[in-house]
Amino acid sequence: MLKTGVVQVAAKGTDVAFVIDEEAPFDVVAGELREYLAKQNGLWSKGNITVNVGQRMLARDELTQVKSIIETHSGLKVTRFWCSPESLGTGDFQIEAKAATVESSANTSGAQRQPPAHNEIAVPESLPDLPADSISAVESVIQDLRSRQNKNGARSRNRTEALFIKSTFRSGESVHHPGDVVVLADVNPGAEIAADGDIVVLGSLKGWAHAGASGDTKAVIIALELPSTRFQIAKYEGISPTTARRKSKSSASGPKIAYVRSRSIHVAPFVGRFARYSKGVPYDG
Amino acid sequence: MTGRTIVITSGKGGVGKTTATANIGTGLAMRGHKVIVIDTDIGLRNLDVIMGLENRIVYDLVNVIEGKCKMNQAMIRDKHDYELYLIPAAQTRDKNSIEPEQLRDLCAELEKEFDYVLIDCPAGIEQGFKNAIAAAQEAIIVTTPEVSAIRDADRVIGLLESSGLHRPRLIINRISPEMVKRGDMMDQKDVENLLAVEVIGLVPADENTVVAANRGIPVVHDRKSASGGAFLRIAARVDGEDIPLMDLEPKSGIFSKFRGLVGMNGRAYSHA
Ligand SMILES: Nc1ncnc2c1ncn2[C@@H]1O[C@H](COP(=O)(O)OP(=O)(O)O)[C@@H](O)[C@H]1O
Ligand SMILES: [Mg+2]
Repeated sequence: MLKTGVVQVAAKGTDVAFVIDEEAPFDVVAGELREYLAKQNGLWSKGNITVNVGQRMLARDELTQVKSIIETHSGLKVTRFWCSPESLGTGDFQIEAKAATVESSANTSGAQRQPPAHNEIAVPESLPDLPADSISAVESVIQDLRSRQNKNGARSRNRTEALFIKSTFRSGESVHHPGDVVVLADVNPGAEIAADGDIVVLGSLKGWAHAGASGDTKAVIIALELPSTRFQIAKYEGISPTTARRKSKSSASGPKIAYVRSRSIHVAPFVGRFARYSKGVPYDG
Repeated sequence: MTGRTIVITSGKGGVGKTTATANIGTGLAMRGHKVIVIDTDIGLRNLDVIMGLENRIVYDLVNVIEGKCKMNQAMIRDKHDYELYLIPAAQTRDKNSIEPEQLRDLCAELEKEFDYVLIDCPAGIEQGFKNAIAAAQEAIIVTTPEVSAIRDADRVIGLLESSGLHRPRLIINRISPEMVKRGDMMDQKDVENLLAVEVIGLVPADENTVVAANRGIPVVHDRKSASGGAFLRIAARVDGEDIPLMDLEPKSGIFSKFRGLVGMNGRAYSHA
């Protein structure tokens, strides 16, 4: 992880993530970005860039500027913007409803577009010289996200405080929490956890877990060890056949994430915040 | 003098609670303590049989609690020359004959007179279990290395914790080192990892235990037997002595030697 005052850069494989301070004034951000990229000139030769702007939704020209600064100085493509869901709701810029098709560049076949994660904005790859088009694509995604948010209103991070369970959760114990649940120990066989949000187990999950218990299919289950396949996310139960096959073949232990894609539960090694799960849909915490 | 009241419990039946109570009680008495063991398995009493005191029973626990006799009239002194006493369970009554508070009061009384009050708990998690744990300040869980027994132990540990009995300690009984070696039995590490409590003793499956029980002389009197030695060490650990866990593997490898060195304090458990 490289770090300047307001810009953090993390690289994983060929993918690079820029995290931009939420509070710094834009000209400072732009200055630091330029300075940083000048120093790193030629460091990256290929790969995609994700820009995370946190709580702040940049105005459209700022978004364009960040994109062009990064692209001209690094030679890489910015393929994604991230922001926190709260900033989708605020932000005073107008949205021009244009029928723009957005294709996730991670999914280059383009045939079946993955629905974007709630706070993920995919930028079309084919329009480097037309920032205006690129932005309108961004906006259509934002609008899409907003309308979806309004519909189910589910994906608010501030539902309730997370529940921390600090010792082994044992057989016969059960809990239903209206937010996220974090267990700082094992969840033993015969124990049951239901959370309206995510479930994170810093131990081995051997009991029953139900994330997104009130219907949120974006909820995930993360565990340091996931020997069991008895869990549920929203209304989906059991894991997808492909994952099941992979899982039984590889005895690979280690942190796992379970999430819903294409109406079934998938399990993948959990490698962190910017990891891609199932064709380019990252988990954002 | 204030003694310690310790409940020996398991959830599942037949795993060795009564055997452990008799042997730890005897072991503590052999170490010079004044000990009383109480059989709370009302309707299914057998602690008296294992200790060879069946013929001396006049009064029982329910009689004491109902005020039919004085406390010391129901205490039976052990045959051996130790300060070891038994209060037997009633055989013809049921578990609802006593209330948790009544047993708690009785034990509080006994703690004034004895160093250790050991409570042999009935199987299950119903009234008899609730009675037995109400009086104790400490708990020892007995399990065997079998999935069903471990599941019940896990349940019981949760119940103990929620009624304020934290950090129970664990005896893994009837371990067969040969079966463990063949991979046919869960090893101590697996059990310990799952239950996440301190292990206070590993007792091998040993026919001497059964022979001793039939004779009414707890196996701990035979210090050289595998299970007798194990129970004697458990009594010492209950008594506060820091004795590393003995490895029951037929031949000890590097790892088990290391475990031996680390002993019972080698793991930190979080009970935040
Ligand atoms: N370590 C051991 N090796 C062999 N047999 C044992 C051992 N521990 C207990 N047993 C036998 O198992 C049976 C059940 O033990 P008991 O102490 O009565 O269990 P509980 O009180 O938990 O129901 C008894 O017949 C006892 O002799
Ligand atoms: Mg018994």
